Amino acid sequence: MRILIIEDEQDLNASIATYLKQDGYTCDVAFDFKEASLMIADIPYTCVLVDLNLPHGNGLDIVRLLKENTPETGIIIISAKNALDDRISGLEIGADDYLTKPFHLSELNARVKSVIRRRSFNGHKTVRVGALEVFPEAAEVQVNGAKLTLTKKEYDLLLYFLSNRNRVLTKDSIAEHLWGDHVEALDSLDFVYTHIKNLRRKIMDAGGEDHIQTVYGLGYKFVSE
Amino acid sequence: MRILTKTSLYYLLVSFIVFLMGGIAYYNIMQGEIYDEVDDQLFTDKENILTYIRRTNQLPHVTSGVTETILVKEATNSTPVLESLTDTLIYSSYDEEEIPYRRLTFTAYQDGKAYQYTIMKSVMDFDDLFESTVFALGWTFLMLLIGLVAVNYSINKYTWRNFYDTLGKVKKYSLSQHGPLQLKKSETTEFQELNKVLKAMTDKIHSDYLNLKEFTENVSHEIQTPLAIVNSKLELFMQSDNLTSTQAKLLEDMHNSVSRLARLNKSLILLTRIGNQEFKENEDVALHDLLTEQTEQLQEMIEMRGLTLSLNLTAPVYVRMNRGLAEILVSNLLINAIQHNQLNGSITITLEPEKLCLQNTGEALQGATENFFSRFVSGSNKPGSLGIGLALVSKICSVYTIHPTYTYHNGLHILCLLFPLKSR
Repeated sequence: MRILIIEDEQDLNASIATYLKQDGYTCDVAFDFKEASLMIADIPYTCVLVDLNLPHGNGLDIVRLLKENTPETGIIIISAKNALDDRISGLEIGADDYLTKPFHLSELNARVKSVIRRRSFNGHKTVRVGALEVFPEAAEVQVNGAKLTLTKKEYDLLLYFLSNRNRVLTKDSIAEHLWGDHVEALDSLDFVYTHIKNLRRKIMDAGGEDHIQTVYGLGYKFVSE
Repeated sequence: MRILTKTSLYYLLVSFIVFLMGGIAYYNIMQGEIYDEVDDQLFTDKENILTYIRRTNQLPHVTSGVTETILVKEATNSTPVLESLTDTLIYSSYDEEEIPYRRLTFTAYQDGKAYQYTIMKSVMDFDDLFESTVFALGWTFLMLLIGLVAVNYSINKYTWRNFYDTLGKVKKYSLSQHGPLQLKKSETTEFQELNKVLKAMTDKIHSDYLNLKEFTENVSHEIQTPLAIVNSKLELFMQSDNLTSTQAKLLEDMHNSVSRLARLNKSLILLTRIGNQEFKENEDVALHDLLTEQTEQLQEMIEMRGLTLSLNLTAPVYVRMNRGLAEILVSNLLINAIQHNQLNGSITITLEPEKLCLQNTGEALQGATENFFSRFVSGSNKPGSLGIGLALVSKICSVYTIHPTYTYHNGLHILCLLFPLKSR
């Protein structure tokens, strides 16, 4: 699967590319509008990450070009502007998601996975790790073929872990993923701990293996071979 | 006191003193003049009588006793009065009052016989004179008063109109409004100078304000990208194998600080954007629905702290404002009530057509309550508390002329938002 990252900040672009490459994606990078428009004309990308403020042009035009030429490409807008108008117009003209800078790479990765999952009509519709199987369309989880009842938050948490397998997830990024903007004022890190504890217990009670490791000082990691 | 009232009062006071002194002087001078005149007449009469006696050797005829102005009697005293001038009062049956008279008594000799003459002249009634003086001056004073008021009114209306116009504009002047101060031209030098000074001053302040605002905006926006880069690099760093626990701890601390900075910056950008009135699309936001929705989202946090929440939505309330800002407003209020609460405390939310009140238990605020809505003022040093939430609340309120109030009573923080009339 090939991903194009259109972002004029080279350092940020490199970070995103490195992170996504570790997950087995092939990543191309573009730093301005011209370069990006040439590349999307040449290669059918699975997913394109596009910044709105680009040298020589607007990211929204890239989105329009993509919708016209390769409508099957997933599009995620990454922008420093949190303007509601931009978000709405971006989504209206066909972007699949919108992420405001600064973001967690793990969050971006989860969004990329989600977009690709939604768009892969003929691919694997389920995510499977050991005895654990997740059906994203039905928002269902099974352990050894038996249905596991999870709360909304626990389900979101599990999917987030599965999207970032073998990665260290900070408590901060988990909290932000689960609670969004509310995270900032509340000491949500305790909640993260509680939810992870509950999720682990539920999976293990149902006969699943414990994949979630605590990484001292940093956060948690979902380990799968 | 307005300057015109003040000058008028001083003017009137001075006029009053001048009129009083003038009146007293006028009265005294008139009195002196009248005495002089009457005395002159008396002495003339005396001379006439003496001349008549000397020339004719007869006593002149006097209508005795009727007019009572010239009385003659034979001098009985051994030492006759040579000449004496006195005041006297004689009752007048016509006026039914005592009338002041000037009386000259002298002795005339005819054929060696002494006669005592008494000549009397009525002097003007000084009470009447006093009354007339007061009356005349009083009228003059009254006319002057009317004149002053009229002149002041017209001065007020014409000469000072530009001053009051300027004053009104300066009063209403607000830095966040766009454009400099527009002042009317005046023909009065003082006002021209005043306007010039005011204009120069506000222009300077305005441009400084714009510079500062632009700087803040730029800083906030420019900081976004480096923050995003640092954040991403840290995250990549965390993925590396063989991190020692010390390194991991260092990384975590760095990551926390960067996250905190990023959130703070986000709030600052939001504050700036509200200030720039970038949220123009208004709709009638259903506050009751919004409150229900947001409390549900925060249910977890509320339960975790053992808080009891009671939500009293008395009636559907719609407030005309931007939906995004309404959400920020409500969520910040709720988060504030949760955050500055105590374990097993309570939150009471009351929504009425004219106001929204949140009451929550919690420790009293340290410091002045006036700073309650200021930026970066937080009651306790809770980690992660930026103290910017209520600054956002206050800013949003100011955009929609909602009036926020705060009181602390019986261990309860009571925060109320009073909605303006027009948005109800």
